[in-house]
Amino acid sequence: MTRSSPPTKIPAKSGSLLAALLAYLLPFLIELPGLSEAGHRLFSVFLLAVVLWVTEAIPLFATSALVILLLVSTLSQAAAPLLWGLPDGFSSGKAPDFTFYLNCLADKVLILFLGGFFLAAGAAKFGLDRNLASLMLKPFGTKPSRVLLGLMLITGILSMWMSNTATCATMMAVVIPLIQRLDPTDRFRSALALGIPFAANLGGMATPVGSPPNAIALAALKQSGQCSFPQWMMFALPITLILLATTWLVLLTLFRTRTKNIDISIKPKWNQSTPAWIYYLTASATILLWMTETLHGINSFIVGLIPITVLLATQVVNTREFRSMEWDVLWLVAGGIALGQAVAVTGFDRWIVGLINWNSVPGYALGGLLATTALLLSTFISNSAAANLLAPIAVAVAINAGSSPVAAIASVALGSSLAMCLPISTPPNAIAYATGAVKTRDMAIAGLAVAGAGAILLILLLSTFMRWSGIH
Amino acid sequence: MITILCLEDESEVRDAILRDLRPFESHFRIEAAGDAADAAALLGDLAKDGDSLGLILCDHRLPGESGVDFLTNINADDEWRHSRKILLTGQAGQQDTIRAINHGGLNHYLAKPWNPEELRNAVRDQLTTFVIEQNIDPLPYLAILDAERLLEKIRSIGAP
Repeated sequence: MTRSSPPTKIPAKSGSLLAALLAYLLPFLIELPGLSEAGHRLFSVFLLAVVLWVTEAIPLFATSALVILLLVSTLSQAAAPLLWGLPDGFSSGKAPDFTFYLNCLADKVLILFLGGFFLAAGAAKFGLDRNLASLMLKPFGTKPSRVLLGLMLITGILSMWMSNTATCATMMAVVIPLIQRLDPTDRFRSALALGIPFAANLGGMATPVGSPPNAIALAALKQSGQCSFPQWMMFALPITLILLATTWLVLLTLFRTRTKNIDISIKPKWNQSTPAWIYYLTASATILLWMTETLHGINSFIVGLIPITVLLATQVVNTREFRSMEWDVLWLVAGGIALGQAVAVTGFDRWIVGLINWNSVPGYALGGLLATTALLLSTFISNSAAANLLAPIAVAVAINAGSSPVAAIASVALGSSLAMCLPISTPPNAIAYATGAVKTRDMAIAGLAVAGAGAILLILLLSTFMRWSGIH
Repeated sequence: MITILCLEDESEVRDAILRDLRPFESHFRIEAAGDAADAAALLGDLAKDGDSLGLILCDHRLPGESGVDFLTNINADDEWRHSRKILLTGQAGQQDTIRAINHGGLNHYLAKPWNPEELRNAVRDQLTTFVIEQNIDPLPYLAILDAERLLEKIRSIGAP
């Protein structure tokens, strides 16, 4: 018989909105030396995006829509007839057409990502993820440490192709019964409950479709360098695998168990219907084509359209499922892409980079700085929002410092996926915490260890892995 | 907050039910009423506080309006139609039970005397369905309700 008044969030929200408005107005009040008028306008939009993406006073994707609207109405030809008119100072000498920003909503990277959504939708529909999990777990036996390793590897592999959140939800459903069978005082419960979200976060790093920050990174590279699907995997997959092994060791060290055996038996129920087979074949073909891009030369964006087309045309993904795709994620990424393009055309990138003498900064320090900034920022805000804000600047900084823009941008994308110290850091962490099987303190300690190892790994080895994958 | 309403006239029985439901106290508002009029007043309070009614746990034989009549009445009200309904009784005849199913929107029937674990399982199951069907954020309920079904829901709705 408890009484509670409904929680009220309105004051906090209006405070954040006011802060966003002030942030937007700031560049109009202060004249920044060396920054063009267009650059000032862009700085306004950028500051507004920072406040709104950090505070989430309005949904993340709504901020994206607002960013695109502001860019179109203040920094494109569409501004000419408006009260404030066209600004000076575009790098090309001329303001872009409004479609320059609107087209970001259908960017090729988003089509690639949508292709990934279709693979995930089918996996959920036909229970493929769960079946694969049961199939791949068998060889790992029943020894607790082996079971944990198996669970983490499977989670990582699934998360390379499905959203981190969906993978974590699927695999937590497998793990919760195991946790419940362990003695309540057995610390190994925390190892199981943390292994899944951490592996989901790490798996998302390995492919361009694994996690939104990767898509943002690829989009930001458009003008300044290329990175194919297999190239991304060649430098990111080793990092994912090393970090999965590190995480496994960290969890085994922190949470020892007295249990000798963990019996894990999920019975696979393979769906043999025609739609299921269409899906299995389409998904395999898509993944195969993505990984062999260098052999056949069909770029991954076009390949992304294949599962979309086949699964829609055959009605394997029906209208309702098509409507319930995560369009909000695509819009969130689109806002970041638009912001990145605007940063480049207004010369804002050169101005902000010019504030520091980057020539004195060695390449690995630059990558380390970017990765650490992304890691810190995305510990507290959405990984995608962090990548949205950092990606445009990272490219400019790298070009200015004469180092590889791909390395810089990959540091941002991978760094933002390393954030896993707190329940709020990523949705998979939130899920694991919500099950009640893990304490914040344990998550923080293990998460810090993994993030620290990841940051060191990025600084020391990313450039080597990149050289191996043919990126300079 | 999601509320569990317990409608039972005998105070000892009511206390026993509330004791069995104690594990849910951390996540749900639990209210108890002795008769239908009392329960209707409590529903008014809920509406005023902006709280939703997740589950009614209802006895049949009550002073005044019967439990099945009460269920039938609130099932006709859009505000409470989606609330899950459990009849916990030893004295509902076949006719009343049929009426409760056809017109009262009954979701589950428990006979007295009840097994506490069985009661908690039924409550957990019904509240899980409520959270899923009403599109309530499943995350806060993972530790207390049916985690497997809630995770399935999370997988289908995704998150940023």
